[in-house]
Formats: sequence, structure tokens, C-alpha cells
Amino acid sequence: MSPYQLSSDRHLSRRHFLKAGAAAASGLALSGCGWTLANVRTTIDTPSDVLYLYTWAGYTDDELIKEFYDETGIRVIADVFSSNEEMLAKLQAGAGGAYSIIYPSDYMVRKMVSLDWLVDLDRDRLLGLDELFPRFQNPGYDTQNRHSIPMSWGTTGLIYNSRKLQPNPTDWDYLWDNRQQLSKRISLLNDGREVIGAALRSLGYSYNTTNIDAIRQAYQKLTELKSAIATFTSDAWTSQIITGDLTIAMCYSADAVQVIEESPGTAYLLPDSGSSVWTDTMAIPRTAPNIEGAYAWLNFMLRPDVSARVCERLSFATPNQVAFGLLPEEVQNNDSLFPPESALEKSEELKPLPTEVGEAFDLYWTRLTSG
Amino acid sequence: MFQSATETQAPPRTQSDCDVELRKVFKVFNGETAVRGVELNVRRGEFFSILGPSGCGKTTTLRLIAGFETPSAGEILIRGESANQVPPYRRPVNTVFQSYALFDRMSVRDNVAFGLKVKRQNPSEIDDRVDRALQLVKMEGFAKRFPKQLSGGQQQRVALARALVNRPAVLLLDEPLGALDLKLRKEMQVELTNLHQDLGLTFVMVTHDQEEALSLSDRIAVMKDGRIEQIGSPEEIYDRPKTPFVADFIGDTNLFKGHIEECDRGSVVLRTDTGLKLVVRPPEDPNDRTVGRKAIASVRPEKIRLSRSAPETEVNYFEGRLQHAMFMGTHVHCVVKLTSGETLTVRQSALPEGHLDDRASVYVSWGPNDGLALSV
Amino acid sequence: MSITTNPPPEPPKLKPQTEASKKPFGSRWLGQLVLLGPAGIWLLLLLVVPTLVILELSLVADIRPGDVVNPDGFANYLRAFAPLNLTVIGRSISFALGTTIGCLILGFPVAYWIALQAPKKWRNLLLLGFILPLWTSSLLRSYAWITILRRTGVLNSIIGIIGIPPLELMNEPPAVLIGMTYSFLPYMVLILYASLEKLDRRLLEASADLGATPPETFLRVTVPQVFPGIAAGGLLVFITSLGDFINPELLGGASSMTVARLIYNQFLGQTPNWGFGSALSTLLILLVSIAIALLLKYGDRDAKV
Repeated sequence: MSPYQLSSDRHLSRRHFLKAGAAAASGLALSGCGWTLANVRTTIDTPSDVLYLYTWAGYTDDELIKEFYDETGIRVIADVFSSNEEMLAKLQAGAGGAYSIIYPSDYMVRKMVSLDWLVDLDRDRLLGLDELFPRFQNPGYDTQNRHSIPMSWGTTGLIYNSRKLQPNPTDWDYLWDNRQQLSKRISLLNDGREVIGAALRSLGYSYNTTNIDAIRQAYQKLTELKSAIATFTSDAWTSQIITGDLTIAMCYSADAVQVIEESPGTAYLLPDSGSSVWTDTMAIPRTAPNIEGAYAWLNFMLRPDVSARVCERLSFATPNQVAFGLLPEEVQNNDSLFPPESALEKSEELKPLPTEVGEAFDLYWTRLTSG
Repeated sequence: MFQSATETQAPPRTQSDCDVELRKVFKVFNGETAVRGVELNVRRGEFFSILGPSGCGKTTTLRLIAGFETPSAGEILIRGESANQVPPYRRPVNTVFQSYALFDRMSVRDNVAFGLKVKRQNPSEIDDRVDRALQLVKMEGFAKRFPKQLSGGQQQRVALARALVNRPAVLLLDEPLGALDLKLRKEMQVELTNLHQDLGLTFVMVTHDQEEALSLSDRIAVMKDGRIEQIGSPEEIYDRPKTPFVADFIGDTNLFKGHIEECDRGSVVLRTDTGLKLVVRPPEDPNDRTVGRKAIASVRPEKIRLSRSAPETEVNYFEGRLQHAMFMGTHVHCVVKLTSGETLTVRQSALPEGHLDDRASVYVSWGPNDGLALSV
Repeated sequence: MSITTNPPPEPPKLKPQTEASKKPFGSRWLGQLVLLGPAGIWLLLLLVVPTLVILELSLVADIRPGDVVNPDGFANYLRAFAPLNLTVIGRSISFALGTTIGCLILGFPVAYWIALQAPKKWRNLLLLGFILPLWTSSLLRSYAWITILRRTGVLNSIIGIIGIPPLELMNEPPAVLIGMTYSFLPYMVLILYASLEKLDRRLLEASADLGATPPETFLRVTVPQVFPGIAAGGLLVFITSLGDFINPELLGGASSMTVARLIYNQFLGQTPNWGFGSALSTLLILLVSIAIALLLKYGDRDAKV
């Protein structure tokens, strides 16, 4: 895919499961040597002046790629995926051998480290790690950033029509308390972890609970809301919140920021009882060719000026403290993009779950969406 | 059973005893006129044929009667009532299609029962009538078969039964025997005649086969270029054709172009363009019997006598050479080239005086009543 | 000439005959190999082998990427028949059936008109017009339907003008049926057109001649004649809509889990379970195979007799 197509995808930025569904299917092949499932590691050698990225839509644009080319002479080609699982499946199926840089999210970093898919980064070759916010210098999902460099972060919350909802909502329970008035005007993310997690949080449990009874309670609570939910969607809510067909929608902060820019009557809420915080990172897969180029890209993205420019242009939150300082004041003060530390205290990152807990999530999610 | 058909239909409002009338009917397709002012009456109980070469408009005429086409101008009456606005499914006529158009997904029985079923007859009556119709065409043993399992002749019979079971006022037959081989065709011709006589129905048949038309029909309409050239009984059409086209199309004939030189009540003298003097019967229409008028003489091959020596007659004998002779079983077909240049076909029951060489010198002759002058 | 008491000698011409028939037989094999080889390899690699792999995987409980394949029973199938999963499968089947019926009802008159009544020179253009939507992404088409069907959407604006209260179609099964019917209508129209175009018009005339009104002719003659086309089109639409999860997910609201999405989740979801996904896939393949078998057995029965 040409990088020039990416900039047009800017609006729908993250976790767009459907868009790349077809691409995912191609990554579904088995590699059956000795009937071990999908455990192939192929490297496809690429020239040293070409660098293949495998990233989310909306994290690169022509300008960024041109800037990098002007400085290093390396041409960047970016492919996009729409879910972490899709990215992993493609790599596991042996179809990702050309990528030197991938963009896993926090929990996927954990998972890929445990599967030994990520290169141990050589700290001597990286510049500016100390310029990250302190909490990104030693994140829970990857101690000391040994395998990954954070490049963007955000929260999950609610976007709502601030004119219709007076007084403004403050927490998840608002949905349950007003489910009569909000009937069929609510959309939730099409993501079991996030939806059940939000219910868990409102019940006082952790997003990462391993208590299956707690998950069942969360499911029960969601069934009470079910009749008021219009749909589960991670992207189709954008136009409908603008037109007023939806009044309140569960979403990622990065998407909300873009919608609020265009539609002033909307606002983003990070619920009081806490939510999930996610971090998207850059990492080098074990199969990566052109390691030199990969480090060049990481160092380029770690530069505060580069990070500040691209974050402002593409509306995502930088984890780089120096870069944050370079941003215009109104961006710095955008609570949706950079929520205050106090609001983040109760939020958690999603962690990989033991299989039986994961299956419980899956089972209740299937029940919720099919009942 | 089928005789009663006429009783079930409403009695005609007019005094006419015609089942089908066409009044100055035209049909134009995309600027091409297929039928030009056709007028004809088909009498009740008659076997009427429309005969002509392909593209003459005969099938279109039949389709106009069936209702598959609507006339561009003119009027069609069925049983004395205007049928111009009547859709095919309300006309008291049924058609036997050219290649039968049997429903290949239905059994023979269902094919035959189709018309009765759509008319919501009660089932026991349907069974009864279907049985009798199949008996009539001798197909009672094939009721459960499908059309693809039948021979052409059997399909033909089913098509007949399917039409007849509805007791139509008029049965339309579109080249009904065209797809059959010669032997089967002869058999079916006999059966068609028998059916017609037994049922007393009005049949209108379209055919390009003049022999078929001559042998089956009470009356024939000969069509050419969308027009009717002549309507008459087979004998009239054959013996007294009104136009050179009819004379040529019905049976074989020899035509001589020329003009009328002398004329009296019983005969005319026609001088051909090559200078021959022929004595033949005068044209039908007295107005055409004028001296000096252009005309064509028609002499049927079987009327011509062939002889080795000059015949003892004063008129209508000419010298020529035998080009070739073909033995056809019942007769011998000869081609003779006259010294004046014309080529004649001659049909003899046997060649005179035994064997004749090709290229042999021969005489041809015929009586004054054996030829007919036709106005051009 | 020979002694009559002896058993008759083998006719001498038999031998050269078998030799003669052997030779072309061998080269015929080669010819068939050349003709069918490429497609055969294609089918083997991309259809037969993956199907067998899925079949084997479906017999392994709880298998995940990296595990060794070791078939151990039918646990995945038992799980597939749990009430929850049957609900999902049932929903998929009813969406697919509804779409098939919708496509038939909408597609038949259109195909009939194009094949039998539209001017000949316009036919290809009209067909092209129907195929054109296929050139856009199906995702885009579903989003377009959101724009049309939502509460403040195009449809409700239009019917609002003439005083009809707004319809709540969006996020309900009707929206899914509308979106899916629209998606698969072109296939139905194309197949029905191909079938209707071959329809022997003289049979329609014969039917009218025998007294059948146009509706009767349609039911008694046209429909039976084009039944193979109806069956083929219906089957194609049924199968493709069974695998569609984009329309249900975008248009169907909160209760729109389909078997296709369920399978997707088993492979690309947060808790993959390739064995269970394979079992569901195998069931789907079975379902479709049964439908095809029924079509082959009954679809063209009369014509084959």
C-alpha cells in the first residue's frame, strides 16, 4: 500500500476492525510444518534504503514520511492493520517478514514478548528515552521499555451531545440511570474487553479481573442496559453522534478529539470511576530486516520536534514530555487529549488474561451481542 | 364430444357463417409491413390454408388471428365479433405451434390438461376430457411421459390434443407438419383430414408446402409479400391461377412471356418474346383479353406430350433437344431445350418409344386447353 | 475352415482394436491433465487442502497458534451446538434466507423486464447499471445505508415531507435485510437474467393461447421454466449472505452477532480458539454443501428425465 493513501484515512484512525477484514483473511493461512499451528518466522530481505512499517491507520502521513526521507534517504512504506490480533496473526502466518517496525498496543507488547516475537532494544542506539513522561519510562506492559517505544496514548471514555445531556454525565453509571431517555441513542465499542471492562469498573472491579463471577456480574449489568443500546461499533458512531442519531457513544479519546474538532456540540468524558488507558508503541519484530533503518525510525520518532509536529497534525497524544512542551497551549490544555493525572489515577491498562478468563470474556460477549 | 364445441360458444351476433374474418388488415413491424390489407373469410367447418413462401406474411396473419399480434390497421372478427381488443387468452381459438411448444417440464397429461386447468374445470371432467383427447390422437399410452421422451410425430399429436381438448371454435395450425420427415408427414396429413372431418371444426393452417395445402384444404389463400394473391379451392388455384406467381408457386409450370396477338371467346393466341406462337385459354378476367396486351402463358409439365416425331397437330408443337431425363418412380422428369431457346420441364408417365439418348431431338406439344394465359 | 469342435478362436481383430483404443486413451489422459492440471492444482491447494486442515483442526479442543495439532474428539462440535451458538447460527440463517427471498422478489421482475421487455440495445447497459454497485466497496455501501436509514437519515427526511412518522429501521433486523438484499441483488439479477433470456417465448404464447392469463402464465410456465435459475441464484445469494458480517454488524444494532463474525473472533479475536472456529466453519461448509446437493438433486430434475 502506498503511504499516500494513509493521509486520507486520518479521520477514522484506530482499531477499525472492518476496514482491513479482507487483509486479515489473507493472514489467516496455516503454516503446517509438523502440524504446529502458525509458528513460522520468515524474514524477507529488503534494501537498506527501504523501510516497511506495519501500523495503525492515522499514525503516519506523507509529510512525516517525506521528512524522514529527506533526513535519512530511507523510503518508508507503511501497511496498516485494524486490530492487534490481525497484526499478530499475519506475522505468525509468516506474511509479515518484510516489516522492520510494527506498532503493537500495550497488551499486545506483553503478549508478543511472552511469545518472543520482539527484539530486545539496544538502549545504546536509542536517543531521548529520558525525554518521555516519567510514567512512560517504565510502563507496566514493558519494563524499562526493553522491547517497545511508546508513541501515542489515550483513554477510553464517552463522547456525548453536550447540548442534549444537561447536566453533563460524569461516570459510566449515567448510562444505566438514564437508559429510558437514552433508549437506542447509546452505542458501545465493538470490543468485549472494553465494554465488559467498563461495566466491571463501574461495579468496582478491575478491567483485568480474573474473577469469573465478577465478569458474570458485569454481563448481568450490561443486559439491563441492552435494550437501550443501539449498536456496538468502534467507528460508525462518528457520523451518527454528529447528526444526533446517537446521544452518547463509547469511544477512544483519539477519535473523540477529531470529532469534537468538527462538531462543537460534543464533548468527551473520562468516567470518574475509571477507564482503560492504552498505549500504542513501536517495536522491532524478531524477523525484521534492515535493523539499521528500524533504529533510525525509532530515533526519528523520539525526537521532540518530530513528535510534537506529527501529534498536532494527526491529533494524538504524545508520551514525550519535551514534545508536549512544544505544543500550542490550547492543545496542551485539551483534557480529552491530555487528561489530568488525577483522572488517570483510577484508569488501568488492559493486560493479557489467562485463557479461561479470556474465554469467559468471550462467552459473555457473544451472549451480549447475540441475545 | 367436439361437435358440441360450437354449442358452448355464444352464438354469433351477425348472420355471417364465418368463423374468422379479416378486413383490410395491416401489420407493420418497425417500419416493415408484413401484412398489407389482407381480406379473407374462413367459413364454419372449413379447412382453410394460407400458403406462401417464407416471409410472405402468412405466419403473421395466423398470429394476428391467435392474438399474439395486434393489427396496425383493419379489423379481425372471430365468430362475427371484433377480436382486435381481445387478448389471446380470451379468444376461442387454439394453436398448434410450429415446433409444438410443448411444456417440457410437464408430463403429456399435464400438457393436455393445461388449458382446462387454467379455466378451472372440475378435476373429474378434466381427466375425462384429457383421456378422450389423448385417445383421439392415439397417445393414451404416453400420458405419463415427458415431451423430451417422445418422437417428433408423437409430440405433434400431443400438441394437437392440447389444442383440441379446449374445444376451440377455430384450430390454428402453424406449419404443423414442417418438422416431420416425409413418411410421417403423409401419415399425419391423413390424420389431420380425418380429425377435421370427425370434429367438424374450423381449421386454419399455415404452410409453405403447396402439396400439403392442395391435399388437405377446402380452400387455400396464396400469399406473397404480405398480400393475398388468390383465394380458392385447390382445383381453382391449380387449374385457374390468377397470377403467374400462383401458377408458378402451386405445382410446377412452364411460363412463356409474350403478348396477346389474337383473341376470341375460347382461346387466345400468344406470341412469345422469342417468336413462338401459342394457343391457350384466355385470362379469367375479360378485361385482360385485349389484343396487344402483355401476358404470360402457363403450361403444366404433365400436360405436355413428348414425341420423337412431329405430332399430328397444327398448334402448340415445337422442336427441341432432350437435355436430360430423370426417372422418378411414378413418372419421368424431362428437361427439353427448344430450338427457340426456352427450356421446358416435361413430366411423362413413360418416355416414348423406349430409350432416348440425352441430346436426342424431340417434339413437345399440348392442346389449346392445356395452357392458360395470365395477365401480367 | 476350422475344426468345429474346438472352442472358437479369439477373433484376431480384437487385439489390434484394444491396442488402437489404448493409445488414444493414454494421450487423452495427457490432454486432460493439460486441460485440468492448472485448475486442479489450484483447487487442491486452495480448496481441498485448507478444507482438510480445517476439518482436522475442528477435532482439536482449545487449539491456539503455536500448539501442536493432535485431534482428540468432538468437543468443539458439542460446543457449537450449545443454545447460544445455535441462536447465532439461526440468526445467520434467517438473515440469509430473508436476503434470498428479498433478492428474489426484487430481482425477478427486474431480470424479467430486462430479458423479455426492455429494448434489446439497452439490455447490456441496464445490466451494467445493476452490476455497477459491485465495483464499490461493500463497506462503503453499508455506510451509505446508515446515512439513508438512520432516524435523521435520507429516508425519514423524505417520508417526513409527506407526513409519515419516522421509521426506526436502523439497528434493527430490517436494516440488515435491506443492506444485504442491496448487496447481493446484482448476483440474483444476473443469474435470473441469464435464465430468463433463454426462456422459450413460444411457451408463453402457448400458455396464453390455452387460456392462461398473464399471472397464470407466469406461475405455471415462466417460473417452472426458470426454476434452475431461481435455485442457482437463490443458492448463491444464500451462501454469500451467510458469510456476510459487515451488513449485520453495521446495520443490525446491538444483537447482530452472526456465525461469520463468531468464526472471525475465534481466529482474530482477543481469545482465539482455532479449533472451535474450525468446527463452526465445518458446520457452515456442511450446511452449504447440503444446499448445493439439494439443488443438484431437485433443481433440474424434470429436464434430466
